[in-house]
Amino acid sequence: MVCDLDDDEPALKRLKLASGNLTVLSNGSSLTEPIVGSSRDLMARPLQSEGDKEVIGLKGVIKKVEFVRIIAEALYSLGYKKSYAHLEEESGIPLHSSAVDIFTQQILDGSWDESVATLHNIGLEDESIVKSATFLILEQKFFELLDGDKTMEALKTLRTEITPLSIHYCRVQELSSCIVSPTHCDSVGSSDLGYGRTKSRAKLLEEVQKVLPPAVIIPENRLEHLVEQVLTLQRDACIYHNSLDKEMSLYSDHHCGKDLIPSRTLQILKAHSDEVWFLQFSHNGKYLASSSNDQSAIIWEIDVNGGVSLKHRLSGHQKPVSSVSWSPDDHQLLTCGVEEVVRRWDVSSGECLQIYEKVGLGLVSCGWFPDGKWVFSGVNDKSICMWELNGKEVECCKGQRTLKISDLEITSDGKQIISKCRENALLLLDKEAKVERVIEENQTITSFSLSRDNRFLLVSLLDQEIHLWSIDGDVRLVAMYKGHKRSRFVIRSCFGGHEEAFIASGSEDSKVQRCTRNSEVYLWHRRSGELVEALSGHSGAVNCVSWNPENPHMLASGSDDHTIRIWGVNALHMKHKSAHCNGIHYCNGGT
Amino acid sequence: MDVDPRHYEQIAIKDIDIHNIVLSYLVHNCYRETLESFVACTGMPEPADYIEDMEKRKGIIRCALEGNALKAIELTEQVACGLLENNKDLHFDLLSLHFADLVCAKKCTEALEFAQNKLTPFGKEKNYVEKLKDFMALLAYEEPEKSPVFRLIGLEYRQDVADKLNRAILAHTNLPSYTAIERLIQQATVVRQSLNQDHGWGSTIFSDGFSRRLDSGSD
Repeated sequence: MVCDLDDDEPALKRLKLASGNLTVLSNGSSLTEPIVGSSRDLMARPLQSEGDKEVIGLKGVIKKVEFVRIIAEALYSLGYKKSYAHLEEESGIPLHSSAVDIFTQQILDGSWDESVATLHNIGLEDESIVKSATFLILEQKFFELLDGDKTMEALKTLRTEITPLSIHYCRVQELSSCIVSPTHCDSVGSSDLGYGRTKSRAKLLEEVQKVLPPAVIIPENRLEHLVEQVLTLQRDACIYHNSLDKEMSLYSDHHCGKDLIPSRTLQILKAHSDEVWFLQFSHNGKYLASSSNDQSAIIWEIDVNGGVSLKHRLSGHQKPVSSVSWSPDDHQLLTCGVEEVVRRWDVSSGECLQIYEKVGLGLVSCGWFPDGKWVFSGVNDKSICMWELNGKEVECCKGQRTLKISDLEITSDGKQIISKCRENALLLLDKEAKVERVIEENQTITSFSLSRDNRFLLVSLLDQEIHLWSIDGDVRLVAMYKGHKRSRFVIRSCFGGHEEAFIASGSEDSKVQRCTRNSEVYLWHRRSGELVEALSGHSGAVNCVSWNPENPHMLASGSDDHTIRIWGVNALHMKHKSAHCNGIHYCNGGT
Repeated sequence: MDVDPRHYEQIAIKDIDIHNIVLSYLVHNCYRETLESFVACTGMPEPADYIEDMEKRKGIIRCALEGNALKAIELTEQVACGLLENNKDLHFDLLSLHFADLVCAKKCTEALEFAQNKLTPFGKEKNYVEKLKDFMALLAYEEPEKSPVFRLIGLEYRQDVADKLNRAILAHTNLPSYTAIERLIQQATVVRQSLNQDHGWGSTIFSDGFSRRLDSGSD
């Protein structure tokens, strides 16, 4: 409730009783009650109508009085003052007792002493609550006096009214200092009550309301809060949820159909001449990079309609290209040849700008520092090496840091490097703090990837399980995903979808269907671990997947069948083209 | 320890040394009359200039103890010019004494003005901030003796400040700020503790009565 001091409305609400409202008594007669100042009158009006044990709803857990009161509060907050008044009248259930109404008005008017007196009439049982609320009110009185240069009166208030409450000693001390040196006041926000100089009366009211029990003063926007809670719970429970939250409606329980999960092959890209080993969308979702056993990498461009076309073929490696890495600004790409060199390419021209190598050794993985100024790479002597862009070597972390795995991640704050240090363990190395954490699995790790918020690691294992680890604070296992097949190859998995709510993974040959081999892309709902989709189409093991970070409805997969498939949602639902940042089709939750 | 502590019995003491010890104690505490009669009784040469300075010092300390801190400051400036400038802690302590006096006398307006003019400038330095806050808190209480910071208006605190002032003035006039007897007792206590700890010999050095007194004093 925004109670503007200039607004007449609150006065109307609070004092409407005084203008003569009708009260229906149990014997059917009615009388007009003008409310005047005596405390007896204030107590005379009961807070709840008869039958305040009444419940509504199928389960009988909702108390009718509470339900009506929060609706009344909602009407008032929305500005429907007349409806609010009618509701109070018709139901006979007042939102607040008359004492509370008067109290609220007194606070807004700055009638401090009167408000403290009224506070005692509200019928609060807990003495400490009364004291806390009184303290807040008197503090406001104190500060307003100081603001009005009435220093001695403020001092008197402190000495005779605030201190005798015998609570918040530290605060009392600070108030003393405030009188003596007003500049000190400005830094007084670090008190245990947590606020500084004179606040508005509306803010004071808010704070007093928080101190008082919610049954006495209903918290503002309580109904909205309850509804939002429900929507959040529904959304979290929805395993197909892959679109903006503002799609959620109150009219029916939220339950997405599968229609927003990419499930249809939209395009098959056939530019590689051998197995496709690695795929990744750029951060801005406008490009896709793929790398292959055919010793090349390809940069694909995604147009406004979601169509993918070849932009540049990057040749030069003498070995199969095992991984790629986009620069933070997406203008450059790193590619890594298997135990060979790392090359840096310019995305718009397709030119190779730099080669990074270690004489006598081979590089196995590559990545960028978040500031885009350094690159790093795993070496086949198990160290991790870092270079400036121009090729100057900066640092080398020796020791058992990284095994021959092409995954190497760095958190977006640049602080932690994650690599596989043993067959079944990942190392989280904090270079600055010189802290190392280890994630240990009970079997061989084949690949891993880091979530965008740096809080989770997805780890693919030899035995066809994918584990989700939380790495924020303590390292712990939070979820497992199963169902895909893996036996011989490195299969990659990734996060994806709206707010990275899904996990995607490649898989090896599963079914023999009409004499064709069929390998699938598996999609799970991250929070519940439920398998959402298994996308068929590839005729060879699906080695890698990447979900477009800017388009939750676009997924790419690369396979041993030399192709890349682009997956999307069913065309029937692609009704609207919303103005997305890169013009990619973005499906609203259609009906 | 190789030396037998009972060797102390072989050491000869001169009367004049003992007299000087007593003298230093009397001077430090401004016991003029006692000093004069002691000097007369022992036939010591009279330390003429001591007396005058002692009287002045006595006056200053009495002002501080009896609620006249401002006068104490004034007189200090006369006797030991620049002392308080160089000793800001002491200056602050004396000013805060005056503040405390005003608060106790319920002269709130005066106390407030005094604090704003004289005390808050100290607040610019970090080490005074806490102390300043404690003193300002006195203002909030109608009965400061019942507040959490009641010790700031207590006699013990006042004596502490007076003591500091005394020592500072003595030091300023190149006199020892600690009496010989204080030092001797302190040293004896340490020795005794050490002997007791390591060798259990403490009781052989001092007479029983004195040992007991040292024990209780060294708490």
